[in-house]
Amino acid sequence: MNLKRLLSSITIADKILLYLLILLSFSGILFIKEVLPKGCEVQIEVNGRLVYVLPIEDNRIVSVKGPEGRTVIEIKDHRLRVTESPCHNKLCIKQGWIESGAIVCLPNRVLITIGNREYSNIVDAITG
Amino acid sequence: MQLQDKYRIALLSAYAVALHAFESLLPTPIPWLRLGLANIITLVTLLLYGFRAAMVVTLIRVILASLFIGTFLGPAFILSLGGGVTSTVAMSLILSVAPRLFSTIGLSLIGALFHNIAQLVLAYFLFIQRIEAILLISPFIILIGALTGTVNGVISDLLIKNLKKTN
Amino acid sequence: MKNKFKVQNSSQHSVESKQGKAKNLIAIYCLLFTVYCLLSTVYACKPRKEKVYRKSKILMDTLVTVTGVSNSKENAEKAIDAALAEIEKLDRLLNFFSPESEVSHINKSAGISVIKVSPDMLDVLDMSLMVSKNTEGAFDVTIGPVITLYDFYKKIKPEESLIKKNLSFVNYKDLIIDRNESTAFLKKRGMLIDLGGISKGYAADKAVEVLKRKGIHAGLVSVAGDIKAFGLKPDGRPWKIGIRNPRAKGQEDDIMATIELRDMAISTSGDYERFFILDGRRYHHLLNPKTGCPAEESQSVSIITNRAVFTDAFATGIFILGPEKGMRVLEKMGFDGVIVDSQGKVHITPNIRGKVEFKKTP
Repeated sequence: MNLKRLLSSITIADKILLYLLILLSFSGILFIKEVLPKGCEVQIEVNGRLVYVLPIEDNRIVSVKGPEGRTVIEIKDHRLRVTESPCHNKLCIKQGWIESGAIVCLPNRVLITIGNREYSNIVDAITG
Repeated sequence: MQLQDKYRIALLSAYAVALHAFESLLPTPIPWLRLGLANIITLVTLLLYGFRAAMVVTLIRVILASLFIGTFLGPAFILSLGGGVTSTVAMSLILSVAPRLFSTIGLSLIGALFHNIAQLVLAYFLFIQRIEAILLISPFIILIGALTGTVNGVISDLLIKNLKKTN
Repeated sequence: MKNKFKVQNSSQHSVESKQGKAKNLIAIYCLLFTVYCLLSTVYACKPRKEKVYRKSKILMDTLVTVTGVSNSKENAEKAIDAALAEIEKLDRLLNFFSPESEVSHINKSAGISVIKVSPDMLDVLDMSLMVSKNTEGAFDVTIGPVITLYDFYKKIKPEESLIKKNLSFVNYKDLIIDRNESTAFLKKRGMLIDLGGISKGYAADKAVEVLKRKGIHAGLVSVAGDIKAFGLKPDGRPWKIGIRNPRAKGQEDDIMATIELRDMAISTSGDYERFFILDGRRYHHLLNPKTGCPAEESQSVSIITNRAVFTDAFATGIFILGPEKGMRVLEKMGFDGVIVDSQGKVHITPNIRGKVEFKKTP
């Protein structure tokens, strides 16, 4: 039968290719299912310019330079806080850990926001 | 004979156009997701008559089909063109570089893969500038491409064997 | 059979091969070139989609966000920058803390001399007096001497006697404006005006005017919580604004209601914006000009009307007046509003009953 001849003519390369493609697409689908719903990101702006956009899932320490000096932000366990800042009143540090919302260091012109994509899709701005 | 080859090629092109047009009538959830039936013709042409012939068949198919359907110069046309040319080039390159590496099925898979990749890239740059949307549908498209590519490969192989017999 | 073809082909080929190959190659190149031209044409003729462009900056001691809808990134950015520049200019003019501002100028000359002021300042002062008159004096920009006694960062609340002493300097009727001469004058030495309760709304309005002048037909300017919206979003829907829950515990109940704005402005005054709690009592920045103490009748007040300068000032005034008097003022002025009283009960003006969407409390 033609079919039998065909099946015997399948090479190893064919199989590898097919398996790779299937593997790739499945893992791609799973990956997307993981990433999409949470989508929380940390945006750090200095002087009105967006300097960093980071996922909140990755623990790290970020340092940004503002007009008054360096502001250091720590992201850990899905929260963030400001650990160092050159401002006078250290309000940004006093705010401690935040899971959402924002921390502003006015003197050093640093703005850190935790964007929950869900909400930014619902409203264009918040009053109050 | 050259002449008979040319007739054959013309006939194949006609089949390709017909298949392409027929396929576009089929309803799909995603606008440019195709079964790629016309790729069968391209692959067969490539294997029997070489790269140039396959390219000619592809170009004729894409242009004529879109003229008939009415999407000439439209987005579907651009995507078909990009996908068709890329897949033909890719298949023929593999064939010339490593002819025994893949069987007909493997070649068809490669054709389908590059066809899809080219379409995704074109779609991103020309139509949907949002990479998230593109990344979102790529896995699905590649998966379906793998499946249809396999089936098309089988059909191509059967077709080739048949055509050889009649010769 | 296939071999036979190949052999015949190749013999034919070897004769015409070079010419044939060249021709075919050229043909293919021409075709590809045509294809490239087609693609470029398609790309160039693609109608530019309208997109939302947004930029934030820290101005007026708060976060200012200017949003504009345009089909050209360049136009949008130019317009947004111009709007931000306008707000910056107004900030320099109306800032209480800056020694070079016109406000400081007027304050330093209190009880001494009349000051020539800019048209913007004249407008702001004029409108603040109008709001004062319409809120029975609850909104009063001369609250300066008393508000400076509080320190919300260090959690300092002033002594009763000190408040009483400074209250004598608080009276909007002692702020004299002369429209013809473009002057302003504070009658008594020691009087201070603080335009914080009206300047943000004024800035939002002006920024929107700049956007419109620069050809933007839809957008949103928010100066902290004072928001002015105009036009519709690219999807044809109006701008959706979230009203913050004054007693939100987390992010889930952060927004208590959403409202769609069609060429309107909204501002909210709340007891949770600047405050501290001392001995179980909440001390916030919305002081009653008659007592010098934080007003206790409301938790938050949101006003909606066509100008942000009004929503800003009236939100402050009505917060201090409380729900009953406040609703009457809203009726008289023909504004819409959402008042959350001290018990957490929500009062809304009849007109917007259908247009505000309240989120169910979990």
